[in-house]
Amino acid sequence: MADVVSGDVLALPKVQCPNHPDAMLVEDYRAGDMICPECGLVVGDRVIDVGSEWRTFTNEKATQDPSRVGDAQNPLLNGGDLSTMISKGTGAASFDEFGNSKYQNRRTMSSSDRAMLNAFKEITTMADRINLPRNIIDRTNNLFKQVYEQKSLKGRANDAIASACLYIACRQEGVPRTFKEICAVSRISKKEIGRCFKLILKALETSVDLITTGDFMSRFCSNLGLPKQVQMAATYIARKAVELDLVPGRSPISVAAAAIYMASQASAEKKTQKEIGDIAGVADVTIRQSYRLIYPRAADLFPPDFKFDTPVDKLPQL
Amino acid sequence: MEQNNSLPPFQGLASPQGAMTPGMPIFSPMMPYGSGLTPQPVTNTNSLSLLEEQQRQQQQGLGQTPQLYHSQTVTTTTLPGNTPLYTATPLTPMTPITPATPASESSGIVPQLQNIVSTVNLGCKLDLKTIALRARNAEYNPKRFAAVIMRIREPRTTALIFSSGKMVCTGAKSEEQSRLAARKYARVVQKLGFPAKFLDFKIQNMVGSCDVKFPIRLEGLVLTHQQFSSYEPELFPGLIYRMIKPRIVLLIFVSGKVVLTGAKVRGEIYEAFENIYPILKGFRKTT
Repeated sequence: MADVVSGDVLALPKVQCPNHPDAMLVEDYRAGDMICPECGLVVGDRVIDVGSEWRTFTNEKATQDPSRVGDAQNPLLNGGDLSTMISKGTGAASFDEFGNSKYQNRRTMSSSDRAMLNAFKEITTMADRINLPRNIIDRTNNLFKQVYEQKSLKGRANDAIASACLYIACRQEGVPRTFKEICAVSRISKKEIGRCFKLILKALETSVDLITTGDFMSRFCSNLGLPKQVQMAATYIARKAVELDLVPGRSPISVAAAAIYMASQASAEKKTQKEIGDIAGVADVTIRQSYRLIYPRAADLFPPDFKFDTPVDKLPQL
Repeated sequence: MEQNNSLPPFQGLASPQGAMTPGMPIFSPMMPYGSGLTPQPVTNTNSLSLLEEQQRQQQQGLGQTPQLYHSQTVTTTTLPGNTPLYTATPLTPMTPITPATPASESSGIVPQLQNIVSTVNLGCKLDLKTIALRARNAEYNPKRFAAVIMRIREPRTTALIFSSGKMVCTGAKSEEQSRLAARKYARVVQKLGFPAKFLDFKIQNMVGSCDVKFPIRLEGLVLTHQQFSSYEPELFPGLIYRMIKPRIVLLIFVSGKVVLTGAKVRGEIYEAFENIYPILKGFRKTT
C-alpha cells in the first residue's frame, strides 16, 4: 500500500502526512492505520493485516491445520518458490474404488532445489548431533547455497560439501571443530571432507584463520570434566609451548592434548593419555610425542599462580 | 646483480666431471637447459639405438662444460626465454602473480631433481600378456590395473606399459636418464617382437627438493601469502604454496625443507626456488 521509504524518483503515490511530508509514518497494525508521529493524524487506513488468520493451539482436537498460509518461507535460501500443491482429499469422494486417493499429487514441488533442501536437512541433523547453535547452522546453509549455485563442485557428494561447509562455518564463527569431530557426525571420510574444504575455499575465494591451541581447550576440558583452573593452566601451557617453539611442526590439536595431559597430571584430576586421546581425536602415542617435547621445560610452562597437586619434578616422564 | 658468491658453489659442481655417469649432464641454474632451448635434439628418432643415445649424451655433456664457465657470469634474470623476474625500481607496481622479490643475491642452493615422469608412444598395439610372460621384471595384474609394470635397474626406473602402446616412465633423476630408460623399455618391447617405435617422448612432471637450512615460520607465510598458500596442520604438516608464475607447487616444511613439483622443464624448478627463497628468508625463525 503505502511505501513511505521508496527511493523511486517516479511520482508514485506516496502516502504522507499533509502537514509533515517528511515524517515517517508509524504503522498500527491492530487498528490497521498509518499514523503520523508528529501530529497524530491517521493518514492511511484499512491496511491489510498480513498476520495469521486465526490462532491455532497444539492441543486442539482438529487434525487438520486450518491455517491457509503454510510454513514461513525461507526466502534467503529457497529462491522464493510460490508453487502450490493439491492436498489430500477429505470426504469419500476423493477416494477411488480401491481405496487409493484419486488425486495423487506428490510430485516434486521444487525439483531444482530438492537437493538443496535435502542438504539443509542433513546439515541440521549433523549440527544437532554436536549441539551447534543456530547461527552456525545458518552460516553453513548460506555457504552451501553459494557453493551449490556456483556449480564448480557439482560432481562431489552433497553430503561431503555439506560437511565441509559445516567445518568452514565453525571456523568462521571462531569456534573451530576438528576434522575428526565433523567426521564423527558425518558419513564422509576425513580425506574427502578435507578435499572439499580446500575446493570450497578456492571456489568461494575466502580464507579461514589458522587454528590455535586455545580454540579447543574449553571443549576438551569440559568433556573431560576438568575444573576451570586446570583448563586455564592447560591453555597457558599450550600457548607458552608454541611461543617458545618447543613443538615445531606439530598439529595444534596434539599440542593442546599434551598440554591438557600435563596440566591434569599436575592437578588433583589426573587423566590418562588414552582418555585425552579419545576426547581430542589424537592417538595416545601422538600425545606422548608432544609431551616428550614439552616436558623438559615444564617448569617454565605452568602459569605462575598455579596450585600444584603434584610438583613439577614428580610429573610422569614418558 | 651480485654474483660474488655464486662462483664457489659451481666450482664444486664442475670439478668431479671427469667421472661422468652416462646420462648425467652438468647443469647449473644459469644454463638455458629447460627454457625451451633444450640442448638435446628435438627430432624424435624412431630408431632405437641405445648406443647412439648414450654417445649423444656424452657429447652433449662434454659440450656443456665450456659453457658452464661462460654462463656463470650470466644472471638468472637473463635466462633466454624467461621474462625478468623483477623490475629494477621498487616503485613499479608488481602484478600479484609473481611473489614480490626484492633485488637480492641469489641463494647458493640448487634444488636437486628427485623424480621425472615422462610418457612415450611406442606406436603399435601391444599384447600385455606376452610381454608379462616373456619379459623379466614385469608384473601384470589386469584385475588391479590394466598395464604391465616393468622395472629396470639402470637407470632405476619403473614403467607402465599399456596395451595401446603408450608408456609412462617414472623414477629417473634427470631428463636424459628418463629418455634413456624409456628407450631401454622400448628396446625390451621391441626384442619381444613388437614393432615398437619411439614417438612423442615428453616429460610430464619433474620433482625437485632442497633445504634452505633454517627453520621457517609457516604461520607468518600463510598470513601474508593467503591467496597462494594453504596450511592446514590437521591435513598435512607442510604448507602448500601454489606459485602462479612459473606454475609450480611447493611443499614448504617447518624444518626448512622444500619440495617443488609440477614442472615440465628444469628451469621452472630453479626459477620457482629463486622466487621463493627471499620470501622464506623473510620468515626465518629467529630463535
